Amino acid sequence: MVSTLSKNVLRHILLFLLSFFIAFPFLWMVSSAIKTKEEIWHFPPTWWPKVPQWHNFIEAWNSAPFGLYIFNSTFTALIIVCLQVVNSSMMAYALTQLKFKGKEVLFFSILVTYMLPVAATYVPSYILLAHLGMLDSYQGIIVSNAVSVFGIFLIRQAFMQISKEVIEAAKLDGAGHWTLLWRIMFPLGKSTIITFAFISFVQMYNNYLWPSLILSSQEKFLITIGLRQFFIEDGAYGIKWPLVMAASTFAIFPLLVLFFVAEKWFIKGIGDRGVKG
Amino acid sequence: MSEKQNHSFFTVLIYISPALVPLSLFWFWPMLYSLYISFTNWDYMSPTYDIVGFRNYLNLFGDPEFYRVLGNTFYFTAGTVFPTMVGGLFFAVLLNKEFRGNHLYQAILFSPWVTPTVAVSIVWSWIFQPEVGLANWLLSLFHLPKLEWAGSSTWAMPMILIVTVWKGVGWAMIFYLDALKKVPKELYESAETDGASWWSKLIHITIPLISPTSFFLAVILMVDALQAFDQIQILTQGGPAGSTRTLLYLYYQSAFEQFNMGEATAVATILVLLTAMLSLVQFIMAKRWVHYE
Repeated sequence: MVSTLSKNVLRHILLFLLSFFIAFPFLWMVSSAIKTKEEIWHFPPTWWPKVPQWHNFIEAWNSAPFGLYIFNSTFTALIIVCLQVVNSSMMAYALTQLKFKGKEVLFFSILVTYMLPVAATYVPSYILLAHLGMLDSYQGIIVSNAVSVFGIFLIRQAFMQISKEVIEAAKLDGAGHWTLLWRIMFPLGKSTIITFAFISFVQMYNNYLWPSLILSSQEKFLITIGLRQFFIEDGAYGIKWPLVMAASTFAIFPLLVLFFVAEKWFIKGIGDRGVKG
Repeated sequence: MSEKQNHSFFTVLIYISPALVPLSLFWFWPMLYSLYISFTNWDYMSPTYDIVGFRNYLNLFGDPEFYRVLGNTFYFTAGTVFPTMVGGLFFAVLLNKEFRGNHLYQAILFSPWVTPTVAVSIVWSWIFQPEVGLANWLLSLFHLPKLEWAGSSTWAMPMILIVTVWKGVGWAMIFYLDALKKVPKELYESAETDGASWWSKLIHITIPLISPTSFFLAVILMVDALQAFDQIQILTQGGPAGSTRTLLYLYYQSAFEQFNMGEATAVATILVLLTAMLSLVQFIMAKRWVHYE
């Protein structure tokens, strides 16, 4: 009894310390954001400013169009996620319900794609977007991310778990492919699809390298690019760290809120995506 | 329609093309075209170029800097994949029990994964700031000298490893938690009646039974590690003196800073081959030690 109790106490102490360590950069970011210039350059560091400079947030918000950047990221990510959900579902439907020549080859090609580094496609994709006149445009970002190999896998997996009886029954009731996919299978695969949508949204919102290659005008920047721009303009010279930390808070905060609201779905959904395949 | 008959070409086309068209345009075709460019000396600006055969590859393999980049890439991969897996397993073992606060801990430990690498790397660069940064304050508590971190070719890479592991460890934890829940309780019970210690249960029951998850994580984390870019660009830009330049960073620099498309795509090809080879090795190894039910 005593040993179980002490084990549990030990478990909590360990978890508390680990959680503190993991969350610490976020706390440090906020505490640094509201320091004065003198406080932030003080060594040893002060944990919390004497007088929190909350106006630093307003000043940071006004020193670059962060609202616009966040809007750009959210807007493009949402469109991309919708496209990916629709076309991954359709592809997954074809892979699980339709019989056709070359299905194995198609699935194998997608499987290989999943393993290969996306960066290896950047040069030709860049050239292609240049030819299409889509460099420095939202269309370029959206079109080049319109498909998710991960989504195809995940939704295919979900569709395979739907019982044959349900599908047969729907067919006997006269459901065509379109009805079967959107009215029966899509709702049944809902939890996987929502998980996928979350993950994909987070990845698109956080995406940096590829968008930074194709976007060049400031009003089209995503938050990641805008933040980096702000960092190298002002932060690297070591004068405006509080503002840089405030700006990082803007970039990180929406996602942390989204995550803590949807946390149960998110974590369970990721864990459930079978590892057997 | 009989069961054996194929569905009509038109039906299949309707369902596969919304994904297949972008997949072909932005995955299949670029992979092949990239391979083709790697045999040319194209500089992106000029309309013409020559086929130079294997020259780009030979140049790379004849350049000592390339081997250093390769070494950095392996350093980064090994230095992130193993700690992330071990850390993830450790977190999962601690959380593999229902108790109050379990979900809150899980959420906090996982939260870095959700945040933009660019933003958290900026925050970490402040923590690793050489004069007044928190990392050096911690060292000073133990009477250790201050480090230059991003400015030191010895410490720049460990700094990037810390940030990368910090970000990914919660992700690995989620997969291990799921795997641990699937280990049959009876196995532990019968081991306990045989008087097995906590440690020997971990080594003889848990680790073999969760090996499919370890295998899966090793492959996924490795593919991710080979493509790490954001934290490197924010923290060190591949420096100092190229000490944190990995294959992907070299690719980025040759393609989009020097517009040496031939060399860049040759690097990309090597990256693809390396990924494929490492995956293959892992699949072969997996046959020997992964325990499937």
